[in-house]
Amino acid sequence: MQVFGLVLVPWVGLLGFLFPRAWAKAIALIVSLVDLALFVTLLAHTGPGVNWNWIPELGIHFHLAADGLGLFLVGLSTVLVPAVILASPRAERPAYYFWILVSESAALGVFLAQDLVSFYVFWEVVLIPIFFLLSGWAGENGHATALRWLIMNLFGSFFMLIGVVAVGMIHQTQTGHLTFQLASLAATNFHGAAGPWLFIAFLVAFMIKAPLWPLHGWMPSAYGESPPPVTALISGVLSKLGVFGMLRVLVPLFYPQMRAWEPWLIALAAVGLVYGAVIALRGRDVKMTAAYASLSHMGMISLGIFSLTTAGAVGATFYMVAHGLMAGGLFLLLGWLERGTGSRALSGLSGLNRRLPRLSAWFQLFALAMLGLPGLAGFAGEYMIFQGLIRANVAAAVVAGVVLIVASWYMIRLFQGAMQSTPREEAAAVDLNFGQVGLIGVLAALVVLLGVWPAAITGHVGTLRPSPYHVVALVRQGGSAQ
Amino acid sequence: MITLTEIIGLPLLGAATLMVFKTILPRRTAGIWATLLIGVAFALSVAATVHLAALPAGHRVVTGSLFTWTTGFGPSIAWRFYLDPLAAVWILIITGVGFLIHVYSNGYMGDDPDVGRYFAELNLFIFSMLLLVLAGNLLILLIGWALVGLSSYLLIGFWYERASAVRAAKKALVVNTVGDVGILIGIVLLYQHFGTLSYPGLFSALQHAAPGSAFFTWVAILLYIGAMAKSAQFPLHIWLADAMEGPTPVSALIHAATMVTAGVYFMARLYPLLHLAPGVAAAIAAIGAFTALFAATVAVFQRDIKRALAYSTVSQLGYMFLAVGIGAYAAGVFHFVTHAFFKALLFLAAGSVIHALSGEQDMQKMGGLFRKMPVTAVSFLVATLAISGIPGFAGYFSKEAILGQALLEGHALLWAVGAFTAGLTAFYMFRVFSLTFLGKPRDEKLHQHAHEAPLVMTIPVVILGALCIFGDVLGGWLNSWLGPTFDTYAGGATYAIRSGPVWGTAVAVLLALIGIGAAIVLYVRQGKGAYAGNERGAGVLGLQAWGSDAVWRWAAVVPFQALGDGVRRVNVGFVRALDAVAGEVAAFSDDLRPIETGQIRRYVLAMMMGMVVVLAYFLVRM
Repeated sequence: MQVFGLVLVPWVGLLGFLFPRAWAKAIALIVSLVDLALFVTLLAHTGPGVNWNWIPELGIHFHLAADGLGLFLVGLSTVLVPAVILASPRAERPAYYFWILVSESAALGVFLAQDLVSFYVFWEVVLIPIFFLLSGWAGENGHATALRWLIMNLFGSFFMLIGVVAVGMIHQTQTGHLTFQLASLAATNFHGAAGPWLFIAFLVAFMIKAPLWPLHGWMPSAYGESPPPVTALISGVLSKLGVFGMLRVLVPLFYPQMRAWEPWLIALAAVGLVYGAVIALRGRDVKMTAAYASLSHMGMISLGIFSLTTAGAVGATFYMVAHGLMAGGLFLLLGWLERGTGSRALSGLSGLNRRLPRLSAWFQLFALAMLGLPGLAGFAGEYMIFQGLIRANVAAAVVAGVVLIVASWYMIRLFQGAMQSTPREEAAAVDLNFGQVGLIGVLAALVVLLGVWPAAITGHVGTLRPSPYHVVALVRQGGSAQ
Repeated sequence: MITLTEIIGLPLLGAATLMVFKTILPRRTAGIWATLLIGVAFALSVAATVHLAALPAGHRVVTGSLFTWTTGFGPSIAWRFYLDPLAAVWILIITGVGFLIHVYSNGYMGDDPDVGRYFAELNLFIFSMLLLVLAGNLLILLIGWALVGLSSYLLIGFWYERASAVRAAKKALVVNTVGDVGILIGIVLLYQHFGTLSYPGLFSALQHAAPGSAFFTWVAILLYIGAMAKSAQFPLHIWLADAMEGPTPVSALIHAATMVTAGVYFMARLYPLLHLAPGVAAAIAAIGAFTALFAATVAVFQRDIKRALAYSTVSQLGYMFLAVGIGAYAAGVFHFVTHAFFKALLFLAAGSVIHALSGEQDMQKMGGLFRKMPVTAVSFLVATLAISGIPGFAGYFSKEAILGQALLEGHALLWAVGAFTAGLTAFYMFRVFSLTFLGKPRDEKLHQHAHEAPLVMTIPVVILGALCIFGDVLGGWLNSWLGPTFDTYAGGATYAIRSGPVWGTAVAVLLALIGIGAAIVLYVRQGKGAYAGNERGAGVLGLQAWGSDAVWRWAAVVPFQALGDGVRRVNVGFVRALDAVAGEVAAFSDDLRPIETGQIRRYVLAMMMGMVVVLAYFLVRM
């Protein structure tokens, strides 16, 4: 029942509308902390989850359960959402907090769903809160930004809907039994002519949501224009939905197609990896530099998945969590930097270290984490992705290696550009207050902990009620351990 | 094993406490606390080495492990530590020389407003370096390796408001990342192949492999790229001279005595792998010899005292790699030890000079400082004699060990390059010594204010000077001490130091004496300044390291920047095109809007017409 609670609790945020506006943040915070507490109980005892017969006529179940793949992404969401709420302005309208909580609920639903229709429903629910957050809070052109988000994602969703229905029907013709349980669908054979098309339908939807090159058209304005906490939410939690979907749906259901197209998929991810990195290298705006770095990292995660190895899948799962913490923290910091100095242009910032010592220290740490410094969380994920990739495609591993070099270049350029070199004295600058230090300190502690002890996650990804991708990957490779 | 984690943990404790409390600690306590911890770490290192020595020769390994680093996709990788005779040499130098440089820093950096951060980062470096050396598998080594690079980056950019320091720090980090990535891909290949990264596991597996396969060649190349970046081997030497932007004790500790020798340690550690990749070993020796010569030719033209010493470091590292490449491991390690003594001394003494001249590093502004700073000058002279390879000083024995073994193993060309470089070394080092301490002061004003350094700075320098003279006894000890490390697996057969032919030594010493004589004639007798010979023509190129920065700039930096600019433009066009498509769709839907009139009659009519068409189609088909 905890899993149902996780999805349900954020809706309690509706209470925020009943109370004075000044209370909205506190209410949202309490609600999100209750969700975090639920996650902690889930860590202690995962339990069987809930599996209700939702629409029996169509074989649709409402099936939520935490497995090795989803559990730690649930953890990421429940940790990051309170941070996002804490970092938001106190005077914000109740609707702002409500939409953040709704997006949390929907994301948790996706991470927990074990039934393809349940998965799809939560997947679609995500669109709504983000649409309203973008349209209401993402600056003057917020409506256009929100429409770009909505239209691109709906485009993907419709393909996915066709895919969901077709997958269920093909399963029915093969077994005489209509169901959308992912565990059952994994045994279905999609070798026919429809197989590749269904695969592409799902792939497009997942790529748009991540986003992955070349379907990242909604990203620049959404990341660039939304308030920093919302950017942290999108890049930290919601961007994981797309790559998560690949592990949850594509690998178990479409393994043969992925195997057949592996070189192309890897090339696709590698292009995105390079594309984001070289744009970040020439970034002129601190936030957009981080945004394209994020795009590059999505390419890295999908490389791990497309390697179709256990190491790659475990690495991708780990890196999703690590990246959520790192990118979430970095976008929050950049938001405080923008608020403290009134500027986002790299050309307008310089030598702020002396006046912003606290912000600078944490910024340095998160920049190092993002560039993959061994000892911090990002590296552990990258290492495992490389371990998988080397088996699948050595050339791609070399390209990814070059991108790691570029990554250290663009992250240090970003950090130094804002914080070091000759200071400008004219503008005022406001350093972090102690609340902000505490908030970023918690995220940083997790980044360090996961860097020193990745086994905290990877030790459970495969063993804790093995998730479909793991089983399938093992079976198809004849039980090989890598 | 408790001791290993304590040795590693103490400096980490220092770094953490200083980071947290740096703003509230009284000025002097930060340095004292940091120095104390390193002193204890040194004592523990000595204890651990003594413990190691008490073990029977065949079992001289102390291991320890903490917890699993990662797992879930094959055999798990744990935090493992590994102390053997090779690692013991390094930890003694890291903590020993590190302690002396910490002491010195109390004087040198005592007045800096950020002294707390300085000592925190210095302790972080010692921690990282110990982690690198005591790691029990290649992954933990890589973590230490990268953290060493991080501390180096932090300390190069210590004065973060100086644009040149900031640039140098970035350059160091990026070039070191090149090496990190090489190691990353190398160890990923090894894990894929052998399912383990621990030294004993890996090396035992290597025993059954046949030398010369492409796999081992590639792995060795990738790991060597890591060593190359960290140890500034050509062509990845470009960051080290710029790294001199950091405080001078940092240059002594990190960019001379310890960090840059990590590559030597790494390659010596991997001798069973080099055994399987003889071509790579030969390339390491050749590149080492070339680096030694190349850097020496650059050092000849330098104006800045620290940059001259930096290129000298690159050159000496070349010797160490030459030794490792030809299998003369003990000689390479010996040279690392003596180099740590004399090069740390040279930098510390140069630091005292810079300190005395209120920050001036240009040798053109120096001269005649012998009288003013006798202790520093004499110590500097001892180290200069040592690096020049004058018999009786430690550097002579270790350099001769390398060159002699090169001759014995039949590498005549490598020997010739090494011997010629020895002559160049003597020349440029005496050039530096003469320009700094001898002749007439070229800047009276600076000279007048110059003074000998305080005791806290001179004592470490004098101790290092004594080590430069008496360090030669270590050669024989290392020969037997390193035996257990290099006898365990195939590939260490030629590790031990053997004396080469007498004529070889005579030639090398003669060349060194010629170099010294030439330097004395030019810079003392004729009184040439630091700018002589590097103001026009080839000298300018020599001053700029024969254009290696420019080559890298055009070969790597500019192409990536151009690619970035190109992709940026494509991306802007791409997002615009997306909006244009959306706009077209919106326009199309506007065109369709008149159809939606809201009149039921028209909808029904449309439906009827549609049904008629469908019916007609089926009727025709029937």
